[in-house]
Amino acid sequence: MLSLTTGLLPLLLAGLLAWTGATKALGPDVVRTAPKTALARLLSSSERAVLVLRATGWAELLLAGALLAAPGSALPGAATAVLGAGFLGYLGYGRARAPQASCGCSASEDTPVTGRSFARAALVLAGGLTAAGAHRTWWDALGDRPVASAVVLAVGALVLFALSADLDRRLLLPLRRTRLRVFGHPLTGRGGARQVPVAASVELLENSLAWHTTSPVVRSALLDHWDSDGWRVLHYSGVHGEGEAARPVAVLFALDATAGRDTPGDPVIRVSYVDADTGAPVAAEELRAAPARRSLRLVE
Amino acid sequence: MNARNTTGVPSEGMRRRRFLTAAALGGATIVGASALGGLDADAAFAAEPSLDPAIARSSFVEGRITGITGSVLEVAGSSGGHARVQMTNVTSVWKVRPTTADVIEVGDGLYARGVPMPDGTVAADAVWVNIVNLDTTIRGIAKNRVHLAHGQHEVVGNILADTGASYAGRGLTSDLSRLRIGQSAQVLGAWRPSDDSVDVVRISVGH
Repeated sequence: MLSLTTGLLPLLLAGLLAWTGATKALGPDVVRTAPKTALARLLSSSERAVLVLRATGWAELLLAGALLAAPGSALPGAATAVLGAGFLGYLGYGRARAPQASCGCSASEDTPVTGRSFARAALVLAGGLTAAGAHRTWWDALGDRPVASAVVLAVGALVLFALSADLDRRLLLPLRRTRLRVFGHPLTGRGGARQVPVAASVELLENSLAWHTTSPVVRSALLDHWDSDGWRVLHYSGVHGEGEAARPVAVLFALDATAGRDTPGDPVIRVSYVDADTGAPVAAEELRAAPARRSLRLVE
Repeated sequence: MNARNTTGVPSEGMRRRRFLTAAALGGATIVGASALGGLDADAAFAAEPSLDPAIARSSFVEGRITGITGSVLEVAGSSGGHARVQMTNVTSVWKVRPTTADVIEVGDGLYARGVPMPDGTVAADAVWVNIVNLDTTIRGIAKNRVHLAHGQHEVVGNILADTGASYAGRGLTSDLSRLRIGQSAQVLGAWRPSDDSVDVVRISVGH
């Protein structure tokens, strides 16, 4: 099995290099993605980065061809190993100097350098070394045991595919979407879906004239809330009055516990200030002076 | 939550709630809705200066909590600098939901609004702990979490019992079944320093 794998390695490596090389050398995305790569940072120029990416792409294509055509020779394998070592060094640099930059490995990805990029480069290095030391040609291995070869090639292709960042976009999201379609939405029918969340009451309050009227007094965010006989009471703290006359107050709003921003009709909100120390109502007449505002009635 | 507890004997907190309920229901009634801004969790991100005279005198503190001494929080600003935030007994504390000062821990992120005191501290009116507001794309949905992409970062959003959703600018609802993979979503939540995930408080899609 081991000899089969080493025999077929040049084929797998050639496939990987042909794919990444083609996207870099011929892909239309290189010009768009090059400025985001760590290479552009290294060369401090996007144009030079594009040139280097294109050149690397052609080198990879050449290596892929050599691996396929001359598997008996040690040269293509050694060159691939050198390329893999170069990739590892470049990724290490990119990780250290520009962690947010993308690696530009397959030129079609915007994802930053991750462990997967390192694993792929290490595979290229190890594969190149193994291919340099191998003496069997891949067509011999393929001819000897065709079924086992097909299995090895399929597994190898899966491993390389899993190490590619394009996997997420091409496979993961469609898979997850399909899962939701087949097994249903996991967030359906959560408990208490009928009840209006407290945050919705707060949202309704903050869009109301009551809030506008009391906004010079309210100083805190929501302190406490509770429901009582169909009312939802929202408790804030505030300061009423200026300078010497300033007194800490509790600002209380009571509104319909079932009302939200989408409930038709104007919300009815009861407001009062209570002195934080004595518990006596404060400035009741000031609040009553707020004009009642109603939405315009539709003419039929 | 009801304004009575199970034993039938009203506790101190329940008695206070009952008293405050009576005060609230006896207050002035104001009818009407308008499109005015708020002061709650969202207000932490309000870019425009407020017309509210109380806000004009306030100052904001933002950073990581490096130490807690009694009721004073030592805060290291994220762009340098150092501030001391004085908690009072009327300071509102938000950490996923309205809560008390006991839940604040060293290492938490903090956003506070308050009044500068003569001793150099800021007496806080409101403190938002670990609050984040992220522009994300939904990448996956599971029973108790959503996977989000924020720029190039993968973020796990924990779904809580009171997580709310807003669809296409409508009011908040607890129905999360209309979320779809691939939608862009604005997430208001609380960052968890321990595992770098986010507790989702509100998720808005189609905004």
